[in-house]
Amino acid sequence: MTRYVIRRVALALVVVTGVVILTFVIAGVVPGDPAATWAGPHASAAQVARARQYLGLNEPLPVRITRYFGGILTGDWGVSVHTHNPVLSDIGTAAPATIELVIAALIIGAAAGIPLGLAAARWPGSILDHVIRVGSVLGVSMPVFWLALILQLVFAQRLRMLPVAGQYDPNLMFSHPLVTRTQMPVVDSLISGNWPMLGSTLSHLILPALVVATYPAGVVARITRAQLLDTLGETHVQMVRSLGFPERTVVGTFAMKLAWNPVAAILALVFAYSLVNTFLVESIFDWPGLGSYAAASVATLDTPAIAGITLFVAIVYVALNLVVDLVQAALDPRIRLS
Amino acid sequence: MIRLLKANQLITAGGLIVLLIFVVAVFAPLLAPYPADAGSATHPENALLAPSLTHLFGTDQVGRDVFSRVLYGARISPVIALVVLLLACAAGVPLGVAAGYFGGAADEVIMRVTDVFLAFPSLLLALAFVAVLPASLTVVTIAIAITWWPWYARLIRGQAASVAGRPYVEACRALGIPRWRILLRHVLPNSVTPLIVQVSLDAGGVILTISALSFLGLGAQDPVPEWGLMVAEGENYFTTGWWLVTFPGLAILITALAFNLLGDGLRDALDPRRLPAR
Amino acid sequence: MKRHRVGLIAAGAVLVSSLAACGGSASPASTQSSKAASDVFTYDTTSPVMVDGWDPATEYSDGIIAMSQMYETLTHYNPATHTIEPELATSWSSADGAKTWTFHLRQGVYFHTGRPMTAQAAKAAIMRTIKLGGGAAYIWGAVKTIDTPDASTLVFHLSYPSALALEASADYSAFIYDTQAGGGGNGLTSWLNAAHDAGTGPYTAQTWNKGQEFEVILKSFPRYWGGWTGTHFTKVVFRVVPQDTTAAQLLRSGQVSFIEQINSSLWSSFNGDSAITLVSSPSWQNLLGQLNSKRLSLPVRQAILYAIDYKGIIAALRGAGVASSGIIPPGLPGYFSNLPGNSYDQAKAAALLKQAGYGPGRKALNLSLTYTAGDSNEQIVATIIKSDLAALNVNVSAQSLAWPTQWAKGKSSNAAQRQDIFLEYWWPDYADPYSWFANTLETENPPYFNLSYYSNASLDKMINQVEPLVATNTPAANQLYRNMQMTVVQQAPLTALYNVNYQYAMLSGITGLQVNPAYPNVVFTYRLKP
Repeated sequence: MTRYVIRRVALALVVVTGVVILTFVIAGVVPGDPAATWAGPHASAAQVARARQYLGLNEPLPVRITRYFGGILTGDWGVSVHTHNPVLSDIGTAAPATIELVIAALIIGAAAGIPLGLAAARWPGSILDHVIRVGSVLGVSMPVFWLALILQLVFAQRLRMLPVAGQYDPNLMFSHPLVTRTQMPVVDSLISGNWPMLGSTLSHLILPALVVATYPAGVVARITRAQLLDTLGETHVQMVRSLGFPERTVVGTFAMKLAWNPVAAILALVFAYSLVNTFLVESIFDWPGLGSYAAASVATLDTPAIAGITLFVAIVYVALNLVVDLVQAALDPRIRLS
Repeated sequence: MIRLLKANQLITAGGLIVLLIFVVAVFAPLLAPYPADAGSATHPENALLAPSLTHLFGTDQVGRDVFSRVLYGARISPVIALVVLLLACAAGVPLGVAAGYFGGAADEVIMRVTDVFLAFPSLLLALAFVAVLPASLTVVTIAIAITWWPWYARLIRGQAASVAGRPYVEACRALGIPRWRILLRHVLPNSVTPLIVQVSLDAGGVILTISALSFLGLGAQDPVPEWGLMVAEGENYFTTGWWLVTFPGLAILITALAFNLLGDGLRDALDPRRLPAR
Repeated sequence: MKRHRVGLIAAGAVLVSSLAACGGSASPASTQSSKAASDVFTYDTTSPVMVDGWDPATEYSDGIIAMSQMYETLTHYNPATHTIEPELATSWSSADGAKTWTFHLRQGVYFHTGRPMTAQAAKAAIMRTIKLGGGAAYIWGAVKTIDTPDASTLVFHLSYPSALALEASADYSAFIYDTQAGGGGNGLTSWLNAAHDAGTGPYTAQTWNKGQEFEVILKSFPRYWGGWTGTHFTKVVFRVVPQDTTAAQLLRSGQVSFIEQINSSLWSSFNGDSAITLVSSPSWQNLLGQLNSKRLSLPVRQAILYAIDYKGIIAALRGAGVASSGIIPPGLPGYFSNLPGNSYDQAKAAALLKQAGYGPGRKALNLSLTYTAGDSNEQIVATIIKSDLAALNVNVSAQSLAWPTQWAKGKSSNAAQRQDIFLEYWWPDYADPYSWFANTLETENPPYFNLSYYSNASLDKMINQVEPLVATNTPAANQLYRNMQMTVVQQAPLTALYNVNYQYAMLSGITGLQVNPAYPNVVFTYRLKP
């Protein structure tokens, strides 16, 4: 097992190095003039030149690459051209909002997908099965930015049932101020017992999370169903059935246990896809996460920020893959021996 | 074969819609009532008209007929998606074959490179590329292809590796048949089926990625009638002009759905492990 | 920097400010919050406000919507009477052919720092503004010396005649502030930029949440010379909301008091809603299309201007814009309604292009256009220009950039990086069109706002002549403005694509709003009644 862990971790590090090089290459292709944007609107030519010096844009390539690497390792991911803050700190401020949204979406996706997949496998070929199968294909075919606009129009604008945008009602910041610890409003209001704020954050979270959850729900439902159908046919399940256990238990308990594996396997992939989906949805719901930060960076040709976001997401993805692989290997000996 | 197709509703449904999209794309100039609107024509006096008999899907903020633009859109995203997948295959297949058949150092290097590219969700890498290069469909095409080829390399590698170990291949080598002949005659044909399945499964995802990038302003630029771009342009007028967003988005959904159904159906039909009896 | 204001979709922070008083209207399901109850005025804008720092001497962007609450000028322009009124100065007179100006200052005015406003303090502020030379400091260009014979009299000695009382009412670089604040001297700038203000106005800075939705919060200044009798707003909040649809929702639910700009169709959708007042008003703001005169020859520039469907642009804007004549908006001296230019004639455009070897059937011409990200009106204009020029085999690639990025690109020292067509709004610094000529047409090396990179010695000469004429001979000044505009029409370095029509939306309980084109998009909150 240890050898597997070492091999896997080494692989992950190699991948991250490759990612860093890739982002440097990307960051190096710079149209526009980051020095001018940095120096600001009132800058004279001399000030722009000083800015160029300060941003290190005049140095030779090998020096810049080494500085870049060194910086990444020590936490210096460059400075954002449009906010003038260190990129890592900007990401630190924006990331929790995105992560909160992705996690909420994944929870909803799993909570919806698994029972649906279960039900479809329980009565294969039925109307319910067909409806669920079509629904899950719809889920993975859905353009989330479109769905976000439609739901926002229907529920927030027309029916006025849910808030239009934002993370919480700003009025509450004065009557029931939110103590920020994790930068995730739902979590923060929960741990500080700020119930009115919790209600507000949850009601603001529903629409975006629902939209982003369509893809995970669809994938999870499909995989659960497929895996269950496979498992239900296997001998040991037949045996359990013949022993007289009710179908409900056969499907729910015994078969489900074996279905977890493929779900866990695609978890990282679904997380990554959902993460990117939140980028699309954030601007529509004024959600102050990485997606909004990325959009602002694109409009200002802020390459350090773009490179930083790319690197961050890639590292999260690699780390997640690593964790999932290690957990799977721990549970299933066949994997570590391959 | 026909019987198999008829029995598989997924392939039928998906295939029919894909065929329809293909027909629309080819005959768009004939089907669209205002073909110029899909190009650079604008009619600002007719801005934001609601759907009516003269404009089935209404007009946009500069007066262009939305119906015509949606029809012409069938020439953009689906075609770009196919180009992307072709490029991805063109890069991935030879590399995968090389890795799987030759093994050893080549295999290691190629696999590590694919690992790096697989570390990025495709939209994100494409986003990083198009964010630093001038936005255009060409850049988007190349960017997505770059993020997609590793999957095919991996897929083909698996196939090639399994074939490479087979006895008849060893026999061929012993007979002195050149390597490339073996690859061509024995490895590739076996890889075609899973490749086709994977491509049709991926087409839907690629279409979503293309329209997402255009929605962010990083892909197609006005006046190209790309569906994602049309949704982005209509976003601000949505509350008073629902037709600007609804129809292009619906087109994306239906196209992605069709390819996904087709892919699912093909996988079910061509996967040797699956038995026809449900 | 003439702004990118009017960003319709700019995403931005929402400035909703202190809603401490408001508590109620939290969820959208609730009905209109009672408009009269709130003593907080929330100004909804689409892009961040304090993008140009907090220094009243150098501010040259959107910050005035907040600064005009905290700072005041010697005189104030009244749009109803077209005259200047007393503000910090109660009376003034000129002598010696408008080369000597005497201002009598108001008594009992205090800076927010607690110090009284005296002539010496005012002089120090103006001298510092001149020295820093930022923003619209050129308005004091004629000033040679300033005397302070007593604590409430300012005497200006000018080197040439100039309409100083008018210039003192400017929306930029005319603020009177306490130069001793923050320790005075060099410490003042950093003190100011830490979100402090040293003004005399009715409101003073409370909080600045840079880059966030509720960007700026101002609270009332108890010792304001105007007093606080009657009902006034006690707090002003600037809320940055990027999405138009969100802004509309916020206004409907009473969470913001005023929307600065929203796309026309949403604006019209408020019609019939008794809780909302719609305000449509002409302005002194227009959208300029600046053509790169270094790269595009005269026939090409003229062709581009003939190729644009100006009426189509106005139609697509649906009330947000009106046709322009010349580059000076109506209401300002020097405006003439019958000037040539802005005519849509594709045949003429084709003929001109042919001269240069371009046009349908010939070589294709590729141009780059930049406009401000988040502004859906500019986007419409860009789309229409693209489409109009495409018909003539001219391919325009339009790029939307955040304003600072767009501007930096236009000023780029690498001329190859600059765009061919630059879209930006312009408005005057005081009730006179001098600003257009001095900033966008006078030779500039390196470029600042002259983003057509235009250099015309005879036009420069005319520009230098006009300021003294304004002070001494109005008809001659107007004639000179006319001649300058004719030059612009013929030489085609730029054109005014349309004049902006402000489309504001406000909660109907609030009264007292007077739209003042001399102070674009500034709502003088003190004068409103909640």
